[in-house]
Amino acid sequence: MKRFYLLLFSSAAAFTLSACGGSEETEGDGGDLEEEVVVGEEEDDATDLTFWTFEGLHTALFEEAAESWNEENPDDPITLTAEVYPFDQMHNNLLLSLQSGSGAPDLADIEISQFANYLEGDIQLEDMNDQVEPVIDDMVEERLDIYAEDGNYYGIPSHVGLTVMFYNEEIMDEAGVDIDSIETWDDYIEAGEQVVSETDATMTTVEGDEHFTFWPLISQRGSDYFDEDGNVILDNDVNVETLQFIYDLVHEHEIAEITPGGNHHSEDYYGFMNDGGAASLMMPIWYMGPFVDHMEDLAGKMEIRPLPVWEEGGNRTAGMGGTGTVVTNQSEDPELAKEFLAHAKLSQEGNINLWRIMGFDPPRHDVWEMDEMREENEYYDYFHDDLFDYLLEIQDEVEDINITPDIPDMQNEIHTNVMHNVLRGETHTPEEALEEAAETIRQGGAAQ
Amino acid sequence: MNSSLSTPSQQIPPEKKGNKFTSFFNSKKVAPYVFVVPFILSFLILYLYPFVYAIIMSFQQVLPGQTEFIGLQNYERLMNPTFYRAVFNTTIYVICTVIILVVVPLLLAVLLNSRLTKLKILFRTAFFMPALTSVIVAGVIFNMIFSESDSAAANQVLAWIGLDSVDWQYNAVTGMFLMVALASWRWIGVNIMYFLAALQNISDDLYEAADIDGANAFQKFYYVTLPALKPIVIFVSTITIINGFRMFEESFVFWETSSPGNIGLTVVGYIYQAGIQQNDMGFGAAIGVFLMIIILVVSLIQLKFFGAFKKDE
Amino acid sequence: MDTTKKEKILSIIILICMGIMAFIALFPILSLLLASFRSSSVLMSEGMTLIFDPAELNLNNYEFIFSEEGMGYWRWYLNSLIISAGVIVFSLFFSSMVGYALALYEFKGRNIIFLLVLVILMIPFEILMLPLYQMMVSGQIIDTYLSVMLPLLVAPVVVFFFRQYCLGLPKELMDSARIDGCSEYGIFFKVMAPLMLPSFAAMAIFQGLISWNNFLWPLVVLRSNDMFTLPVGLATLLTPYGSNYDLLFTGSVLAILPIIILFIFFQRYFISGLTMGGVKG
Repeated sequence: MKRFYLLLFSSAAAFTLSACGGSEETEGDGGDLEEEVVVGEEEDDATDLTFWTFEGLHTALFEEAAESWNEENPDDPITLTAEVYPFDQMHNNLLLSLQSGSGAPDLADIEISQFANYLEGDIQLEDMNDQVEPVIDDMVEERLDIYAEDGNYYGIPSHVGLTVMFYNEEIMDEAGVDIDSIETWDDYIEAGEQVVSETDATMTTVEGDEHFTFWPLISQRGSDYFDEDGNVILDNDVNVETLQFIYDLVHEHEIAEITPGGNHHSEDYYGFMNDGGAASLMMPIWYMGPFVDHMEDLAGKMEIRPLPVWEEGGNRTAGMGGTGTVVTNQSEDPELAKEFLAHAKLSQEGNINLWRIMGFDPPRHDVWEMDEMREENEYYDYFHDDLFDYLLEIQDEVEDINITPDIPDMQNEIHTNVMHNVLRGETHTPEEALEEAAETIRQGGAAQ
Repeated sequence: MNSSLSTPSQQIPPEKKGNKFTSFFNSKKVAPYVFVVPFILSFLILYLYPFVYAIIMSFQQVLPGQTEFIGLQNYERLMNPTFYRAVFNTTIYVICTVIILVVVPLLLAVLLNSRLTKLKILFRTAFFMPALTSVIVAGVIFNMIFSESDSAAANQVLAWIGLDSVDWQYNAVTGMFLMVALASWRWIGVNIMYFLAALQNISDDLYEAADIDGANAFQKFYYVTLPALKPIVIFVSTITIINGFRMFEESFVFWETSSPGNIGLTVVGYIYQAGIQQNDMGFGAAIGVFLMIIILVVSLIQLKFFGAFKKDE
Repeated sequence: MDTTKKEKILSIIILICMGIMAFIALFPILSLLLASFRSSSVLMSEGMTLIFDPAELNLNNYEFIFSEEGMGYWRWYLNSLIISAGVIVFSLFFSSMVGYALALYEFKGRNIIFLLVLVILMIPFEILMLPLYQMMVSGQIIDTYLSVMLPLLVAPVVVFFFRQYCLGLPKELMDSARIDGCSEYGIFFKVMAPLMLPSFAAMAIFQGLISWNNFLWPLVVLRSNDMFTLPVGLATLLTPYGSNYDLLFTGSVLAILPIIILFIFFQRYFISGLTMGGVKG
């Protein structure tokens, strides 16, 4: 008994002591586990800016930007604290903070399919018009429009997201296929059949519970989930045909497998691909990052080429994915935050860094031809020197994608029902699945 | 300590005669209210206020700076296939977990309490160990054991028996199995503890009396053990039902918030998806209110059935 | 003679069945333990396999976590310890009084309060999250220990358990204490609470578990890495852009330790509950 109370007492004491220390105890010693980067601490009169992201790599970009900002603006220095959270956690916390009017950072990354959530009601983000307008002619405007509402630009894009085909040349050679001979999707299927019969690998993988197989393909053909006015066109003929095409790759031609782990960001897939499981992969160019980080054995073996076309003269790419960086209205010095963001991601220097540090195809097209883009980096080492030539070739073949407040709902339908029921469950034909999903969105979409 | 318990009178100091206030404060009538006051207060602040707020929200469209009342629209939108699916999954899950998490721990506890069982402490600790892992960690382990690849532990076991590999996380039946298995694995040990604590309070006299009457082991279990365990069975089954309806994490660790074909979608998962991820808090609140009504009805029926409201039960 | 032989066979059968059950219960934990001695790259390419090469086992993960670089982990550990201790102490204190009053006193509103406890139990916490979050923000306690603990202090499950437990306690003891001149509060603290010790032990374990493993709410109210609890911190190791499975597993193994200690420590009180022969029935 005594012992019990003793325990109660000592834990109570421990509690009171530490509860008082509370939030002041922040002089944590940074280690690898601390997903937090602080730049510019030595500046006494510096303005504090916090930045939230769900992608650790992005902190590297902002870190460099903060250093160069402090060099160029000694009168107006900043201390940048960049914090990395898991994807869901960051978006949910940001949404809650903005809803309740407190707790949000100065700057934050918002992923494209989540962005619509932040454009509802009274928008809690600062518009970036003053920073965007002077450089708009040098930008791929479609990427700015994604994060805009009523003519105001809220998010600064990270990349164009050109979708390409990554080929594992070792496997293609073993199958006796010249990748430069693949021009149409019919060629691709033919090559795939050769790969499957000559090697142990499959030709490619299709995402069974994500959208990075379906969306790029329909976008490549000029279609989309929504039309320009925000009406659901998910169940149009092109989309049904395209989904049928994906189904056929797996079940008819048998040259594709459903991605292990369900999508191309799963550990299962990294292991599978790294071991030479598939001969090719269709993903946006920013997927170079996961290759370099998680598939070390493929270094030097991967080749990047434009997508096969549906018909002669058709688009050879599609712009996919994206993250918009925003300034929230809870920033204490929004003007400074905006200027810093422009410095980090709208300037030429920033755009070159987007390529150099992250392997992103930068949204400012005037840097694409600059010499700095050809300087050696880890991506050239991994994917060969000619990769940028292909990007230059296809950069104008990008269709707009239409973002509406229903995008989060739509993505959810695609992820949970459409792809699964058609590809893995085989309980629905492409037409049935798309019609069902389209109907769900038309009836119960987020915006009434 | 034991001796003091049997003779409490010696330990307790004689009553000090205080003023009227003290004696009022000390009276048998007032004391129970004093006991419950801290709880009631914290309830009012931490639960009632947010709860009322949530109910109001269920009649609103909640957007930053533009919150407006929209009548019953959120409730009307409940009638959709996704919601039905969530309710269906959750119901199946509740039924499975209630059966497993009451019956299995009860039997194991009785065995653990039996003199025939050797190595009691070892077994008790073994059964309890899973409860010590957080659901996040447990989820990672289960994910790897039940991954779709042929080399995953579960599929290797199937291969030894001569069966084909299973895509555990991609069809409705195995998906439900995973969630129930994870919950059962983590909670059996805790429920064993509940039953053990209660079993240890059953007087040996009752068993001795039953022995004299010539009762066999089964009769003793049925006529002595079970009735004595009734309050704790009520407790465990109520908790399991309610936690079952509120389940979210067991699904989250396998599929996060979107599962293929919604095989892992639960009602709370739907609240999370709609209310937080899709920024539709009013609708999320409406789902929550509806869920609460389901839980309330089911638990009241169950408690009534067990007679938990009778006095001196 | 015959019955002892039968009992022996029975006891062996029980032993075997229990052994199998115990193995199933322990298997995932053993895999976890094993995984903590393997390297991340192996785990990633092979998954959690049953077959492994003993030669590849090493202590690297543990060395890392105990090195300078692993400091962040221990900070999470400390946070979790403090929060759980606070939750256990305060929620047990408040809840035991409520459960006790509900079970052993006749008073107006008793059934209503019991019903209230059940209703609280039924409110899905997720719908309270936004309003609660706003309260924490306006009270300026976001990102503090207090903000994580508060919702756990109203613990209907614990109240419910104490009530059920107290129903089995002898009321006569209270009456005799009253005759001896003991105040109502004296009765609770000096006479009845000691009898409730096994239930305190069970609930300490229970609340310790809930708090130690609590995930969703801390995820929302904790902001800075320095304040993260273990589950939240461990979950940050699980990103598609750099899962640290090795660290995750090692961290998880070490995370189980305090709760094992809590369990072993309080397990003795179950046994002491056994010996309180005088209070039964």
